[in-house]
Amino acid sequence: MTLAKSDLLFDLKRNHAGKIKIKAWNKSQVVMAGTFVMLLLLTVYGFLTFDYKGISMIEATAATLHNVKLMFLQPVLSHFSLAEAMYQLSLTMGLAFLSTILGALLSVVIALFAAKNLAPKAVSNAIIVMVAFIRAVPTVLWVLIFAIAAGLGSEAAIIGMVFHTIAFLVKAYAESFEELDEGNLEALRASGASWWHIVIHAVLPSTVTSLLSWTFLRFETNFTVAVAMGAAAGAGGIGFELFMASGFYFDLREVGFITYAILLVAIGLELLSTQLKTRYLKSSAAN
Amino acid sequence: MALLQVQNLSKRYDKEKRVLSDINLEVRKGEFVSIIGPSGAGKSTFLRCINRMIDTSEGEIHFDDVDVMALSKRELRKHRTKIGMIFQHYNLVSRLTVIENVLHGRFGYKSTWQGILGRFTEEEKLQAFNLLKKLGMEEHAYKRCDQLSGGQKQRVGIARALIQSPKLLLCDEPIASLDPNASKVIMDHLQTISKELDITCIVNLHQVDVAKKYSDRIIGLNSGRVVYDGTSTELTSSAIHTIYGSEAGELIME
Repeated sequence: MTLAKSDLLFDLKRNHAGKIKIKAWNKSQVVMAGTFVMLLLLTVYGFLTFDYKGISMIEATAATLHNVKLMFLQPVLSHFSLAEAMYQLSLTMGLAFLSTILGALLSVVIALFAAKNLAPKAVSNAIIVMVAFIRAVPTVLWVLIFAIAAGLGSEAAIIGMVFHTIAFLVKAYAESFEELDEGNLEALRASGASWWHIVIHAVLPSTVTSLLSWTFLRFETNFTVAVAMGAAAGAGGIGFELFMASGFYFDLREVGFITYAILLVAIGLELLSTQLKTRYLKSSAAN
Repeated sequence: MALLQVQNLSKRYDKEKRVLSDINLEVRKGEFVSIIGPSGAGKSTFLRCINRMIDTSEGEIHFDDVDVMALSKRELRKHRTKIGMIFQHYNLVSRLTVIENVLHGRFGYKSTWQGILGRFTEEEKLQAFNLLKKLGMEEHAYKRCDQLSGGQKQRVGIARALIQSPKLLLCDEPIASLDPNASKVIMDHLQTISKELDITCIVNLHQVDVAKKYSDRIIGLNSGRVVYDGTSTELTSSAIHTIYGSEAGELIME
């Protein structure tokens, strides 16, 4: 009796079993649930209808594990020396470094015109759309496109990587510029300072930390991209050796060694950038 | 001859709503004028119309015998050097030192390259130190601005405005973020500037008692109109209620 009364009072919803509902299903939840169910069904269907070509699951797994063991537990260099490997690694680092530095320098200038608080809206929108388009196309494709003019090799790789770096950094830098306190700009504008004065003496000093941290991030990305470019575009460096070891000599143990070398460098870069950030950038902000 | 003449000034951001309507006033050299009024009355907009940080919709502004509306981009820069501006949130570049921030006030006098390279003459640097000394900030000259207290930051803001050698100081709620003690220091400095250097000060204020104590003249704004324009002694409590559009006895005052 009391329950029936509260039904009227609160406009309760009950499921078909007569229990009070506590979930309100909205459209997005229904779509999400529907998507999961569909994916599950497709996965099951996929496994049932695969063409296994008579491969034994057990044999295949064993062979894969053996290969993994060869790669990662018994890495060795057979076609070139350790010194050569170091040299090739430094080549790859060089590719990454050069494309990051060139890209960063150009990006700072372009980003000034892409930031909504510094440039006219039309200019900023045009640049934002352009870099979004460039970013949507993978780096490898840009490298291959530039290879038409520059030929396969490090030149095309650098141009393509710089291109993609610019597209990434312009967006990142422009967003950093936009976070700047509008009052800072207003104060200088009100004193009669020109646009370039404001940029050099207010915008850049205030945002240099975030610009540098974006640049480090891109350098790390560019290192891995440079490895791929060595393999895919003949840009040289450790990536090319990796391609030779795997696709040409089928030497899994060498692939393992090169993978470890790349991994070590990547970890090293990561540690370095964290150290730089905490030690120099943060402390200068706290000073 | 008045330093600043404003005639029939109106500003609208969209078609219907007027932020400022039909403002007429003259300000003499060396005068200390406070503008009071409720939030949204158009006080900040009015200040920014004077140095054309905001373009007006109608009306004329003459400053120092120059028609402010007719200025080209280059002339506008020169116009702005004659007007210093002080802000509620100080608007200093917090990563730079005090002295660097003060020298930022000289950019209006620099060519593009001189400014980019940060070439300041020895006289300018000396002047910057002298100003800091006058404001009691000389020992902080090489500190970064994010190490300063609010009152100290505002004094740097004043030094930056004064190094422009301005004829007019526009102060947009200079003490709204400060404690009573720091507020007094800042207002005393502004008063000295107006009296001793003969620089006109137009100050937006929320504190009626402060406005009464320091100003030669008070202008009351409400909904973009001048509803009071007179000396601080003539500002009666009924006039204050007209300005703030409130019932008698509802305001917090000393």
